[in-house]
Amino acid sequence: MSRLVALVLLFGGWELSARARWLDPVLFPPPSAVGWVLYELARTGQVWSHFRVTVTEALAGLGLGTGVGATLGLLCASFRPLAEALEPAMALLNAIPRVILAPVFVIWLGIGMASKVALSFVLVMVVMFFATYTGIREVDRRLVERVRTLGGGRREVLREVYVPSVTAWVASGLKVAVGFAFTGAVVGEFVASSQGLGYLLSFAQSTYNAALTLALVALVVGVILVLFWAFGSLERWWLRWKPEYRRARPSVPAPTPPVARPAEQAPTAPGLMR
Amino acid sequence: MSALRIRDLEVRYGTHRVLAGVDLELEEGEFLGLVGPSGCGKSTLLRCVAGLLQPHAGSVEVFGIPVRGPSPDVGILFQDDALLPWRTARENVALPLRFRGQPIREAMERAEGWLRRVRLEGFGDHYPAELSGGMRKRVALAQVLAARPRLLLMDEPFASVDAIVRHLLEVDVSRLVADTGAAVLLVTHDLEEAISLSDRVAVMSAGPGARLVEVYRVPFGRPRDPVGVRADPAFGSLVSRVWSTLRTEVARMGWELSA
Repeated sequence: MSRLVALVLLFGGWELSARARWLDPVLFPPPSAVGWVLYELARTGQVWSHFRVTVTEALAGLGLGTGVGATLGLLCASFRPLAEALEPAMALLNAIPRVILAPVFVIWLGIGMASKVALSFVLVMVVMFFATYTGIREVDRRLVERVRTLGGGRREVLREVYVPSVTAWVASGLKVAVGFAFTGAVVGEFVASSQGLGYLLSFAQSTYNAALTLALVALVVGVILVLFWAFGSLERWWLRWKPEYRRARPSVPAPTPPVARPAEQAPTAPGLMR
Repeated sequence: MSALRIRDLEVRYGTHRVLAGVDLELEEGEFLGLVGPSGCGKSTLLRCVAGLLQPHAGSVEVFGIPVRGPSPDVGILFQDDALLPWRTARENVALPLRFRGQPIREAMERAEGWLRRVRLEGFGDHYPAELSGGMRKRVALAQVLAARPRLLLMDEPFASVDAIVRHLLEVDVSRLVADTGAAVLLVTHDLEEAISLSDRVAVMSAGPGARLVEVYRVPFGRPRDPVGVRADPAFGSLVSRVWSTLRTEVARMGWELSA
């Protein structure tokens, strides 16, 4: 509720300031003007081909990056020598701002969609690699022993312990990865391209069209919010056993006196979530 | 046939000898409490019996069969309630049944029965994070008993709960174990808990190279009320006898104890 009030105040104040000419409406077009540009873009349909290009690049990067990152993470967790070879490279990739690779991909792959998918892929892959790799290594040994002593074999240990606990890490990694996928696509287009929202942004910037720039930003934000909501719902369903996703039914009052709980076992990706 | 026969057991961690020359025998259906100074190797002994640790020398036989790995005849209750957090209480209890090939429906019905026996009817759909510590202990107990073990190992099962919950759990364990007829090896550092539940209490020496120094017979039949029995004068005298043995071992670890 307070968030809604804050939003109304922000946009209302902005609208008023621009109309009253306290703000230069050329540099700070009021939200109504931005909304009008968005409407025009949608009505004339000229934005859709660009929109489709960017979303395709981002989703391709997200899919490929998740697949390759998760597979490499799995392999590294299983084979020690591979981890020793690959982990430093991944850590380095993780540490640098990976968007600086954009010009490299343009030189290698041209100004078409391939270079944007590649950038998006690199951004996502590193995140998903660490989510999977850490997820597997952080599997609770006590749960493995528990399943084994209850009569479970290798397959049961995998199904009952490894898959669910890694899923939790991957789910939280995915939310970060969605944003990265679009960063890769848009920044890639911004650097060099002939289509896509990033290309339009670059065009709008070079013509000092603030209203179009803000409209495009709003469009990208809108897409990401939708994807966030989708992945958030998926995560809430996947991780419905986690206490933070079970607000619908609060913890039962204990018939016995409350006791100290052992450290929470639910995996959370440090630095990735929230 | 004995439920458990340990002969001359030796376990080392590197060059450090944890256990040396442990001999122990458990009759079928017998309840044995194992006490000893902390760090003496009680848990290590239990892990050998559970098949989670290979001893360096000696033999461990469960119902006449040498232990090579986890066995369906042996159930183990750990100190921490390591329930699967992504499974509901009922699914957790049904786990060992499903591992034994029971169809899901049947396993779930039996699991519900076990939840009832540990007084958790209606909590089947709750995830472990939604249960209190004492409730999770009872789910873990139901889970291990659902597997119908003929030998039950317990490693400080009630260590992390408060005294009141602890007594309630002791009553549950005492009753349910008597129902199933399983032999029990209970590792604890709580002398009174060991005596109140067991047929015999064994005292382990201080490490390194720990072994059993003394075994006491508890002069009460089972099933019994593990809380009420503490009021019996015979209980108190046994506590002081076992304690005197234990104290010698604790003193060997460098603790100065006043009488």
